[in-house]
Amino acid sequence: MSTETARAFNPRVLLVGLGVVAPLVAVLVMNLGRDPHVIGSPLVGRAAPDFALQPMGGGAPVTLASLRGRPVVLNFWATWCVPCFEEHPVLVGAARRLGEKVRFVGVIYEDSEEGVKSFLARQGSSYPSLLDPGSRTAIAFGIFGVPETYFIDAEGRIAAKHVGPLDEQSLALKLAQAGVTP
Amino acid sequence: MRRRALLVAALLLVGPAVRAQEQAASGDPQGVVGRPKGRALHGEALLARTEDVAGLLRCPVCQGLAVADSPATMAVNMKAQVREMLAAGYDQEQILAYFEHSYGEFVRLQPPLRGVNWLVWLGPVLALAAGGFFVTRALSARRTAAPAEPAPLPGPATLPDDPELARYVRRVRELAYGWPQGRAPGSEA
Repeated sequence: MSTETARAFNPRVLLVGLGVVAPLVAVLVMNLGRDPHVIGSPLVGRAAPDFALQPMGGGAPVTLASLRGRPVVLNFWATWCVPCFEEHPVLVGAARRLGEKVRFVGVIYEDSEEGVKSFLARQGSSYPSLLDPGSRTAIAFGIFGVPETYFIDAEGRIAAKHVGPLDEQSLALKLAQAGVTP
Repeated sequence: MRRRALLVAALLLVGPAVRAQEQAASGDPQGVVGRPKGRALHGEALLARTEDVAGLLRCPVCQGLAVADSPATMAVNMKAQVREMLAAGYDQEQILAYFEHSYGEFVRLQPPLRGVNWLVWLGPVLALAAGGFFVTRALSARRTAAPAEPAPLPGPATLPDDPELARYVRRVRELAYGWPQGRAPGSEA
């Protein structure tokens, strides 16, 4: 007798089961198209955090306010980071080409001054690299790792962020978002 | 000589001030979370609170570790900034809000009570309440239900009304006692 009731269709059991399973499936389906490696930055669209950092090789501190008026490409990098090595020539070339329109600035992330100095002597440079003691500026910009690059428009607003090494295409795309036309 | 001493003294006084100004401009929380709202801490209290607040922050370069628990340089730097902010009088919520401003809600190890996060905090309580409700209801239903009278066993001459049950009883009696048709011989009245 009891086996018969268990076998019978019970709409309440079905309803409770759906109530548990449906939200789980919905969450899974909604996130199917999401790339878990993409980390959005809450800073995009907001004013870039100000900084005052000593450039490599000495000189007056570079502040974000002093760079205003032209879009800024702010590249966080380190010599121990292999992808930074790959993007370095792209950035150096672009800085030479677009120097009139865009300010390129590197911020050194968790690296020694000596290491950076010898790296730049070997690989060449066309824009300043700033020292960031205690990673204060990296933290203010929400850096997760290197390389990460912020594209700041002429008004000091963060227009775009790029995580990972830049190539010519991605650089042109992000520059356009910051209002730089080639 | 005296002039030189004065110059050195002036440099000693001004030097740290200039450095402090530079540091304030790089990653200065005041522009993000306003003036410090709490009491400036120092000594043992500062160290203890630093551990507490750093324990609420997720280390961005680690896998699910708190800033307080991670040896990564990034975490060490973040902890140093937490300590500095506490020493400057920022309260816990201001410090968490400062890091959230650049890293997003991800950086908080405890989801703040807002929006869909209410589900995380209230979900388990609601589930427990619902479960308790169903269990009490089921228990009280069992208690109020009249204790079921055991069905009278059929005597040797009779069979249950339920035809299926009757079929089994008949079969058992045939097998066990050898009664034809499941009725005791001579019991037919």
